[in-house]
Amino acid sequence: MEYFYHLLVITSLFSIIGMSLNLVVGYTGLLSVVHAAFYGIGAYAAAILLASTNLPFLLVVLISVGVTSVVAFGMGVVLSRFRGDYYALASLGFGIIVYTILLNWQSLTGGAFGIFGIVKPEILGFTFTTGAPYAFLAFIAALLVYALSRFLVDSSFGRVLKAIRENESALAVFGYKTERYKLTVFVLAAALAALAGVLYGSYISFIHPSSFQDMVSIYMIVIVILGGLASLPGSVLGAAIFILLPEFLRFLGLPDDIAAHMRQALYGVALIVLMFVRPQGILGSYKL
Amino acid sequence: MDIFAQLIVNGFIAGSLYALIAVSFSLLYGATRFFHMAHGSFAVIAAYVVVYLHRTLELPFVFSVISGVVLSGLVGYVLFRTIYRPLRERGGSPMILLVASLGVMIVIHSLLAITFSSNFTGLTKVLERTRFELLGASVSSHQIGIFFVSIVVSLLVFVLLEKTMFGKKIQAVSDDEEVARVMGINANAVLSSVFFLSAALAGLGGILTGVDTGVQPSMDLFFLLKAVIAAIIGGVGNVYGAFFAAFLVGIVENLGIWFIPSEWKDSIAFGLLILFLLVRPNGLLGKR
Repeated sequence: MEYFYHLLVITSLFSIIGMSLNLVVGYTGLLSVVHAAFYGIGAYAAAILLASTNLPFLLVVLISVGVTSVVAFGMGVVLSRFRGDYYALASLGFGIIVYTILLNWQSLTGGAFGIFGIVKPEILGFTFTTGAPYAFLAFIAALLVYALSRFLVDSSFGRVLKAIRENESALAVFGYKTERYKLTVFVLAAALAALAGVLYGSYISFIHPSSFQDMVSIYMIVIVILGGLASLPGSVLGAAIFILLPEFLRFLGLPDDIAAHMRQALYGVALIVLMFVRPQGILGSYKL
Repeated sequence: MDIFAQLIVNGFIAGSLYALIAVSFSLLYGATRFFHMAHGSFAVIAAYVVVYLHRTLELPFVFSVISGVVLSGLVGYVLFRTIYRPLRERGGSPMILLVASLGVMIVIHSLLAITFSSNFTGLTKVLERTRFELLGASVSSHQIGIFFVSIVVSLLVFVLLEKTMFGKKIQAVSDDEEVARVMGINANAVLSSVFFLSAALAGLGGILTGVDTGVQPSMDLFFLLKAVIAAIIGGVGNVYGAFFAAFLVGIVENLGIWFIPSEWKDSIAFGLLILFLLVRPNGLLGKR
């Protein structure tokens, strides 16, 4: 049962990641390869605040999400000027810079040692311990993110995003400030990723820069494309496959190190095969 | 030893290491019009071929290097025939090809890690270097060799592109694939050889870097990023621009160490790219 709760927590967190990234990649058509950085900044901000202050958990969440949004805003100002392959490359570079900072800013992030002993969230006197309580918390968070994203993509704001995806120049002709829309959705997605990061850090209780490096951003893209571009249920499905597939690989009994690389190779093959047979992903509606 | 002279010399050596990979990346982009994310993988593959043939089987060094270059060229050729060409013929957008190449990068990375482990390894058993003074800076004989190989091979490539029929065909296909086809050029044959040539060049660049510092599966992203940065600064598709920009990146990176610690080298290179994208989006020798 503990195992089931664990999978539920991780799948919920990655669903949040998938849905938020889908807002940028699927709905707006911008291939952002920096999402893991926001997941990481959220996790680190919360870990540092929880270790050094006595602030209530919800306030910590708020501040961490806020800090991440500010960083995302700075990057987004630059990124929003690009589209297509340039967007992908520039965002990949930002991801590498954030990883370098997490790894080298020893005094703040603990560098290569990471941060240990992150406490469990306490809300209104109730501590969400590992197991059912945490699964409940993560599930509720995923549900909220789903509701928010659903609301966004069905609103007029969401329609502008899809129009940017289809033809940005034409939209600009109609007087839409497309850069502002691209920036807004980017910051929003980053904020949601930060939420997932906060919950991840306090769940695992240990964070390390390698959990947030550029390869992880690429995995996140695998989740979004696999499940389906511009489909929120698709991102949940993508996250579920992403988490559960390696669990099946476990039964093959490969050594840990090799199993990790096999899993990685499998994601790569999945990406290539998808580009051939279904570039929009399993439940997706939009092709790259 | 003069620090300034040392940094400048180091910058030139770093530049010569980036040059081949940047030129080959730019050549490939010019002909195929998509960002090949697995380009760094060619460099890593070739370096590992040398590790296997020279270090493990103890075959002669020059033979191992030639095998490595040819083999990475073949990998490029096979990838084009089995993945990129079929995707292009299905009318895949550059983004589809970019995502597929991300998949290729992940697969090659994990296969290399499974075969050779994720650790750093040198290409040769002898790590001792004869060092001597040059313009007040200390360099190793290997580095001088690397520098000259890189310059000579780059020049040969430029001659090939400018002076031969094959080079003219590549230019024709790069300018306009449709028109080239109409003129009776077999575009697919040209692109196949461009893939071979470009992968082989990147492979040589990887071997040169490996001789200087050793190799690790995760260096694919390092190679890719340096190549991309130099290629964009030089104006994508412009091989001469990429060549000069590679040296610019190497020198700026190394001079940057004067002001901030060396862990930030990659961030400096990326900062330079962002700067160029903002003020000169078409690169130094602008042509898009």
